[in-house]
Amino acid sequence: MYKAVVIGGSAGSFQVITRILNSLPKNYPLPVLLSLHRLKHVRSGFVEALSIKSAIEVTEPFDKDTIKPGKAYLAPSNYHMYIELNKKIALSTEEPVNHSRPSIDLTFETAAQAYRDKLVGIILSGANRDGAFGLKKVKQLGGLTIVQDPNECQVKTMTEASLKLTQVDHIFTTQQIINFLLSLK
Amino acid sequence: MEITNRYELGIVDTRNIIKVLDDVYNIDFKNHALTFFKRRVESFIKQYNFKDTEGFIQRIEKDKDFFELFIKEICVETTEMFRDPSLWRVLKDDILPKNISSTANFKIWIPEVTSGEELYSLAIMLQKLKMTDYVQIIGTSISEGHLERIKTGFFDPKKIETNDANYSRIYTDGKLSDYYTQKEDGAYWNTSLIENVKLTKQNVIFDDYPKGTKLILFRNQMIYFNQILQERLMKIMYNSLVPGGHLVIGNNERIDYWNSEKDYVLISDSESIYKKRLS
Repeated sequence: MYKAVVIGGSAGSFQVITRILNSLPKNYPLPVLLSLHRLKHVRSGFVEALSIKSAIEVTEPFDKDTIKPGKAYLAPSNYHMYIELNKKIALSTEEPVNHSRPSIDLTFETAAQAYRDKLVGIILSGANRDGAFGLKKVKQLGGLTIVQDPNECQVKTMTEASLKLTQVDHIFTTQQIINFLLSLK
Repeated sequence: MEITNRYELGIVDTRNIIKVLDDVYNIDFKNHALTFFKRRVESFIKQYNFKDTEGFIQRIEKDKDFFELFIKEICVETTEMFRDPSLWRVLKDDILPKNISSTANFKIWIPEVTSGEELYSLAIMLQKLKMTDYVQIIGTSISEGHLERIKTGFFDPKKIETNDANYSRIYTDGKLSDYYTQKEDGAYWNTSLIENVKLTKQNVIFDDYPKGTKLILFRNQMIYFNQILQERLMKIMYNSLVPGGHLVIGNNERIDYWNSEKDYVLISDSESIYKKRLS
């Protein structure tokens, strides 16, 4: 019933993301959209690091790429990653939002508009408030909202900001997030 | 850009605005990426505190200066000087020295100069290579506001830190501040860098374009177009380039239309550098 998963993370989320990606089977039925804060002048290395043990393909999309199930799409450094209504990726170099490019808010908001109640939005560990507004949008448009348990987060700011703004559906540990995503098969 | 309490524009309103701009100013935005255009209009409407779309339309219909401000807003500013230093290193060490000579005119086209960072980066690089005299740069933009600003050399001092850092990822000698001055109201490039650059206004569908170009820099602009306009632009750039000429687009953009492999060879995958085939 769900058609896509969107995940946002910043400081302290790398290990969580790798654990999640490494747990998904090759034929995972949904696309995974990743908007993660990263160094803007370091273009290579990140997608490779995420790919090492991941069974699903992790890619930094080109502009207008069509989103396909069973693949993870990582927002490229120094670009915003939007989801178009026709389920294509659109990249943008518009100004940073909350000092961030990629902006988690913008990926979540456009993903929510594209997938509406067929979207799962997940906010992980992070050091700023980016993502809180985007997760609220996911909720407003009928999607399912999950926040990583702040007690488990290396940095709680981002998850706490999200919890403050939205009555989320679940507060999950990394393992619970994985179990949930696997149950969507 | 703030995202909370954003003005939200419906698709119908967005289409109405596109129609008004076409009717009144003969400028056609229907082949810009719709969600992108909508977002820019939203941000503009919020910035000028309009209560509704109707108010915005009435103002822009009547006020040419306001219209120009809007066009400037539509053109996304180039984010920084020497964005993607690895590309600029390839230009410095390979593409420019291997192709520019004192015996033939080398024409470079920047189809949308927006806030001018690509132009000034290129001008500085050519000066350091002592090749300025052998090159004709043509910069075009749909925004008069951007062109005027480029001529003054003004740029936002907030960009200085990023700009300087990028410069030092390419050059170990000199510093970027040799090329700009900080004043009370902002930072200014040394405009002598661009004194031989031809800056002209461009129609939104690029129907008038320079011919015989040997290098085109068009990074991170086609991402704001839909497929129709993208393909049109790719054809225009193809026609503008001489055989063997180079086209550089954004590192996450690709030339991808039917039979495009017949027109271009991708010579750098990581930097999105294409070379027009010889025949």
